[in-house]
Amino acid sequence: MKTLLCLVPLYLLPLLVKSDVVLTILIFTFVLSILAVGFNIVFGGAGQLTMFHAAAFGIGSYVTFLSMLRFGISFWLGFLVAVAIVILISIVIGWICFKFRLKEFYFAVVTLAFAELCRLVALNWTSVTNGTLGMLVLEKPTVWLPGSGVVKIEQTGPWYFLTLVSLTGVLIFAVLLMRSWIGRNFSAIRLNEDLAQTLGIDTFRYKLLAFTISNVIAALAGALYGFYTGYIEPAYLAVTQSLDAIAMVLLGGVSTILGPVVGALVLTSLPHLIELPAEMRVAVYGMILILVILLMPRGIVGLFAGLLKGRVNAA
Amino acid sequence: MLLKVENLTKRFGGLVAVSDISFAIEKGEIIGIFGPNGSGKTTLLSLLAGLLPPTAGRVFWKGRDIAGERPNVIASLGVIKTFQNPQLFSELSVFEHVMIASFLAFTRMKDHSRLRSFLSPAKGETTLRLRAEKALTLCRLQDTATKPAAELSYGEEKMLGVAMAMMCEPELLLLDEPASGLGNDEIQNLENVLRDLRAHGTTLCIIDHKVAFLAKFADQAIALQQGCKIAAGHPYDVLADPGVVKAYLGRSHHA
Repeated sequence: MKTLLCLVPLYLLPLLVKSDVVLTILIFTFVLSILAVGFNIVFGGAGQLTMFHAAAFGIGSYVTFLSMLRFGISFWLGFLVAVAIVILISIVIGWICFKFRLKEFYFAVVTLAFAELCRLVALNWTSVTNGTLGMLVLEKPTVWLPGSGVVKIEQTGPWYFLTLVSLTGVLIFAVLLMRSWIGRNFSAIRLNEDLAQTLGIDTFRYKLLAFTISNVIAALAGALYGFYTGYIEPAYLAVTQSLDAIAMVLLGGVSTILGPVVGALVLTSLPHLIELPAEMRVAVYGMILILVILLMPRGIVGLFAGLLKGRVNAA
Repeated sequence: MLLKVENLTKRFGGLVAVSDISFAIEKGEIIGIFGPNGSGKTTLLSLLAGLLPPTAGRVFWKGRDIAGERPNVIASLGVIKTFQNPQLFSELSVFEHVMIASFLAFTRMKDHSRLRSFLSPAKGETTLRLRAEKALTLCRLQDTATKPAAELSYGEEKMLGVAMAMMCEPELLLLDEPASGLGNDEIQNLENVLRDLRAHGTTLCIIDHKVAFLAKFADQAIALQQGCKIAAGHPYDVLADPGVVKAYLGRSHHA
């Protein structure tokens, strides 16, 4: 839990930094961190290489917005509808995959196929989703604050705090989850599923739980992302979106709490730190990613944790 | 009758690993299963623990047919198996291993304490932690508690398997060659642990090819050869059985 104190400076940052560019980069970092934290629960926790998180991300944004539009409800109620639908879809897909004992790449391929299926629905169900053109989101989330009542989240400042508070909430949940018996069972499944089963752990149920939790967290990221950018399109559900989150987790450190956040920060801010022609950019990031994974197999956070430990042992 | 096995058979293609075996275990008993390598001992235990589905036959646990159930279901009913080659979650610490193994004990706790242990494991799991420390002390692993399991010696790994099995609160503990690969000192310690388990009412089913080790403990022995039961009864009677002697020595015994 103490590791989360690292987030405190972020709450004070807007007092010092007024630059909209910096705050905007951080907002994207926070939202994508939420997606990466979710992926880290099912992959870094329970060891299941899912490719469905981008689909859950997209479903989160589409369903939240569409239910606001259709039922005239608030952002948060719309998000609850999205959560319900994501839970339902996760249970169906998870049930199919885990009943048939799909593992590693087989699980990845099947979840990818389901994710593509969802993307094609978003693309082709034009009467509802507006197809490739996507949808403009003019509605804004509202929050109730003590003292000022119901506030619309419109400016960069409020968005900064909304996304940061959401990320903090998700991280606190992830810490509680991973240190509880549920997290212990996840690690047991990741490290030796057969042994976990002989110790009485219902591995089917816990894999399903990890998959569902990570998808719900991805849906939160998707809802925030769609409303912050003010635009929702089928590309949110694309495989590249899933791969981005995976790259963040690998870069920051698998199975660490802050790894996904660090990875998201690096991958979101890098394009703004190194100005390159668009074609060069992808190649250069690819190179950086390959080098980091080769040189720091446990990610940035893993590397620093190792250095700290080494220093303690040496002293 | 705690466990009743009826005509249990397991075929792997053309090979019959376990052939039409029947026996019963009473509560509190220690049963020894022995036989030469490849006689089907490990397969038999794996069938009982649900790690392999039987080809035919039935296994009754307290009257309920558990043949073909998933291993976690069988484990939650109180039948726990240890492995001949230690199975571990290598990168986790020894203490984390026993805590993972405390899951079944945890599920038997009341629900309100589940929520509490989610918010604060230190408070909600005090009793489990104390029991984990006790199990480690009994298995002489207390000094290695914070070490990653990958750094343990072979003997320590095997004892960790026993400590984890103890944490599951088994009613019937299936031990797959617990003494193999252990030094004399470690075997002595293992015997103490097994006596302690027995004193607490745990029923034990031990397979081993060290006949002397088994004969010292067992109330009942079963001898296997090529998947078939060739003798059963009191351990010393079984050891004296001409069929058993022949299976071990490859000829009939004239002494």
